[in-house]
Amino acid sequence: MSVSSPAERDELNQLLQQTGRNDQKAFAELYKRTSSKLFGVCLRMLRDRGEAEEVLQETYTTVWRRAGSFDASRASAVTWLVTLSRNKAIDRLRQHREELLDDPSRLDETVDEQPTPAAGAETSQEYQRLQHCLDELEPQQQSSVREAFFTGATYNELATRCKVPLGTMKSWIRRSLMQLRTCLDQ
Amino acid sequence: MNTPIEDGNNNLRYAEYVLGVLDADTRAEVAHEVLVSGEAATAVALWQRRLMPLTDTIGEVTPAPYVWARIHDALQLDAPARVAPRKGLWDNLQLWHWLGIGASAVAVALLVVVSLPRPTTTPTVVNAGYMASTIQQDNGSTGWTATMDLQHARMVVVPATPVAFEQGRAPELWLIPAGGKPISVGMIARDKPTTLALDPALLAQLGPTAALAVSVEPIGGSPTGQPTGAVIAKGAIGAAPDAGGKVAMIGDRQTDRNRV
Repeated sequence: MSVSSPAERDELNQLLQQTGRNDQKAFAELYKRTSSKLFGVCLRMLRDRGEAEEVLQETYTTVWRRAGSFDASRASAVTWLVTLSRNKAIDRLRQHREELLDDPSRLDETVDEQPTPAAGAETSQEYQRLQHCLDELEPQQQSSVREAFFTGATYNELATRCKVPLGTMKSWIRRSLMQLRTCLDQ
Repeated sequence: MNTPIEDGNNNLRYAEYVLGVLDADTRAEVAHEVLVSGEAATAVALWQRRLMPLTDTIGEVTPAPYVWARIHDALQLDAPARVAPRKGLWDNLQLWHWLGIGASAVAVALLVVVSLPRPTTTPTVVNAGYMASTIQQDNGSTGWTATMDLQHARMVVVPATPVAFEQGRAPELWLIPAGGKPISVGMIARDKPTTLALDPALLAQLGPTAALAVSVEPIGGSPTGQPTGAVIAKGAIGAAPDAGGKVAMIGDRQTDRNRV
């Protein structure tokens, strides 16, 4: 699913709005065109196919019920959908938090992973802008923000993973967020 | 835009919420704020717009067709369940639909699907790599049905009639090799399908001489690695190369039991 073209974005917005009016065909089409992206997000965060499938299912059943509240002036359909799937994935991670903390091997595999644009996939203008602003952060802070975003980890978990005090991690992330906002809102 | 002082901790909290670093309680607080305060909703929406483009770097992965079938069933949609072209038994949405309904005749349904002649491929090729089991309770009614996809090393366990559990207890699925000790396959849900990955050690033990069983365990699973609670359901496994015949055997057995 490439969402870099404005036409594609409008089509998805429209499909989501139609879904909000209980249009089952639009909903099926929306699923067909967005589920691979959302499943990629769920898998990346949960690292377990079965769990990712369950979260994907929860996400789309919620989409069907809540699509009526989608406001295209506030967010694009893709942002709305990705946000929903991330929220569900994070909720799931919080439920399993103790198990994850008890399993160091599972934490190790996520540390210091530098995500790169998916092979052959075109990144959006928005991503390029964000990347530019991320590049202005200190390397360690940039990697903490990425780690947080892609793994849905709490401050505590991040501090443990990066072997820094909790206060240090909080100030890295908070400073980064404020710096990102200044850079992006210019 | 806000001045740094107006920002206060609130805007940071919204940013932290969207980034995903808050603990469960604080997350719930912010989520509630978003529902009741327009200002909070706007701040969160702005942060979503700022940060969500990061997901552009995540590769897309097509989910298995049965995920759509489950969504379709859960919402009771009436449009056709199929969104992808039909491939093999695993991808057969009608099968997943049946499994989802959880009729006690699932073994029979499997038999029908497995033995139907396919115009494009020879049945033996299509059927190779799948196994099925009807996991029956002592009273003869089907508790779960399990379908194993050997090629992709996974098993989907679908409840037929949800079994009641006392609080703090949950069903755990075991593979019992002939004459061997039970091996834990994983915790399964009592009221919805569960997909389990099968590691090589488990895969090696799957076969017509092995059985599946469900025991009652603490929520996190048996603390000892062996069943600690009552075994409430059992089922034989139908083998892959002649899946039709083996599944038929399970079907027959079930019929016999029903007659008794």
